[in-house]
Amino acid sequence: MSSSFTLFWRQKKALAGLVIILSLCLMALFAPLIAPGDPSERVGRSHQAPTVEHYFGTTKMGRDVYSQFVWGARPSLAVGFATGLAITALGTVVGLVAGYFGGRTDATLDLLTNAVLVIPNIPLLILLASFAGTVGPWAIMAIIALTSWPWGARMTRSQTLALRNREFVVAARMVGEPAWRIIFVEILPNLAPLIGINIVGSIIYAIVAQTTLEYLGFGDPLSVTWGTMLYNAQNSSAIILRAWWDIGAPAAGIALTGLGLALINFTFDEIANPQLRSGPALSRWLRLNRLRRRELGAAR
Amino acid sequence: MRLSPRRLAVYCVAFLFAILVNFTVPRLMPGSPVDSMIAQLGPRATPAAIEAIRARFGAIEKPVLEQFVDYVVGLAHFDLGVSVKYYPQTVTEVLGRSLGWTAFLVITAIVFSLCVGVSLGAIAAWRRGGRFDTIITPFSVVMIAVPPVIIALATLFFFGVTLRFLPVGYAYDPSLDPGLNFTFFGSVFLHAIMPVLTLSPYLIGEFQTTMRSSMISVLGEDYVTMGRAKGLTETAVMFSYAARNAMLPVLTNLALMLGAVFGGSIVTEIVFNYPGLGLTLYTASVARDYPVIQGQLLLMTLATLGANLLVDIIYGIVDPRVRESAA
Repeated sequence: MSSSFTLFWRQKKALAGLVIILSLCLMALFAPLIAPGDPSERVGRSHQAPTVEHYFGTTKMGRDVYSQFVWGARPSLAVGFATGLAITALGTVVGLVAGYFGGRTDATLDLLTNAVLVIPNIPLLILLASFAGTVGPWAIMAIIALTSWPWGARMTRSQTLALRNREFVVAARMVGEPAWRIIFVEILPNLAPLIGINIVGSIIYAIVAQTTLEYLGFGDPLSVTWGTMLYNAQNSSAIILRAWWDIGAPAAGIALTGLGLALINFTFDEIANPQLRSGPALSRWLRLNRLRRRELGAAR
Repeated sequence: MRLSPRRLAVYCVAFLFAILVNFTVPRLMPGSPVDSMIAQLGPRATPAAIEAIRARFGAIEKPVLEQFVDYVVGLAHFDLGVSVKYYPQTVTEVLGRSLGWTAFLVITAIVFSLCVGVSLGAIAAWRRGGRFDTIITPFSVVMIAVPPVIIALATLFFFGVTLRFLPVGYAYDPSLDPGLNFTFFGSVFLHAIMPVLTLSPYLIGEFQTTMRSSMISVLGEDYVTMGRAKGLTETAVMFSYAARNAMLPVLTNLALMLGAVFGGSIVTEIVFNYPGLGLTLYTASVARDYPVIQGQLLLMTLATLGANLLVDIIYGIVDPRVRESAA
């Protein structure tokens, strides 16, 4: 485990990703200090370009884009992270139960997992959201979590299948440990890298889905999030009016979050699957190989 | 071609699930959607239309099971109900108009991205750790994580509004008459460039990363060493021996990604005002045109299932191991 950590720290990409995500989280956390005042308050004229007074300009309604950007990070990140965790928790439990118990339980759960997996998610989300009317951030979270767990469940199941007949699990069963304890105490810790990948991937997915839904106007129009900022900017034809700051700020926030998470996930992938690595060690090995080949050629 | 009964069961359950969602969700919602739809129809609400909506959304005195049977029998006759917004057009008519454009957009984007992504992935794996790999591969991973909305808005801003050299909106120049001539096809092509470029980064990223990892595991196989031992050129080994076999996981991934591609196409069509299913879905959702939204889910589910089935079949043809075991 400790070697994984050093590997993680040595990777500049993961470090960069972590720095991005942490700074965005800190910004959200200290929003009242960084951007005092109410982000929904009208503070200037319509669509003012960025100035010293309004760092990111103003929206059509004359609201400060900078202040909205800072405050909007709160619900956007909170819902993204919470939804990612919920997706992972659901997927992991379903995968563990299916993989450990096997037999009919597994057949049923696996069938359900694969079925939900092939149903196109976004149209399903739109259907649920449109019947629910405008939905608050937490309803969006519930809808996304309930429709997106199968990916993780599939990965967890196949890993659990590989572990269930290993000696330590068989031993635990013979000692008479209850099934829940074998699943969560004996098997679960072995899935740590997989769960890490799953969490980061799910957060990315949750942020994409949340942005899409809010951009389509299913979010609560009164709340300030990056998604509703995009929706409002789109509705006030900010692009045609070339008010790039109005669209650019929330877009940059979402894109940066995606970038940071992607960089972290990339490294997780390489830790879990050493075959995929392409870091300094690999380059060194390739260089040695090339040198050796050249020497062989010269000797011939 | 034999399909495993297990896969068929999965597809049946998925379709049944979509039907069940369509049937139950409106019946579970607190404020009945029926009243809002009848209010929407306004003066156009003939007694027959009201009766049809009531029957479809469960506001009638009938056992639920009987309602469900009626619903499924209706679906079997392609009866998806009438649109509220475009009354008296049926949902089938409304969706039929836009289906072709979405299919065109999605298929073009997939074919384009497949060519680009698979080549990039193959090259990155072949020169693993090289400069190409260290730049392209993280870039692909990032592309997967950026929502299509952002890419669509950025493309629109840079190419459509600032540089102005590509058309914004519609599938072809509205002053042209659709016909089989070069002007029309040229117009369709130009109007499709931006939407396709918007849909592609996610797809290219997915194809590149899948291809790279599957190619890396294939490169260790004996038949690749064999190809090298034969003294074949690098390119011959790379494409005819390694890449061909590494393509299989990409195919599986393609079928699973289709749902996400539909999600991306919805957003893309809205941003570029492209008259496909996504734009129809959007106008329907703004107008709370529930029958159209429901028809949309069924249609997209059906399309995804069809594509999965197609991939299963192609897989059987392409992979000699599956082909042999089936024979």
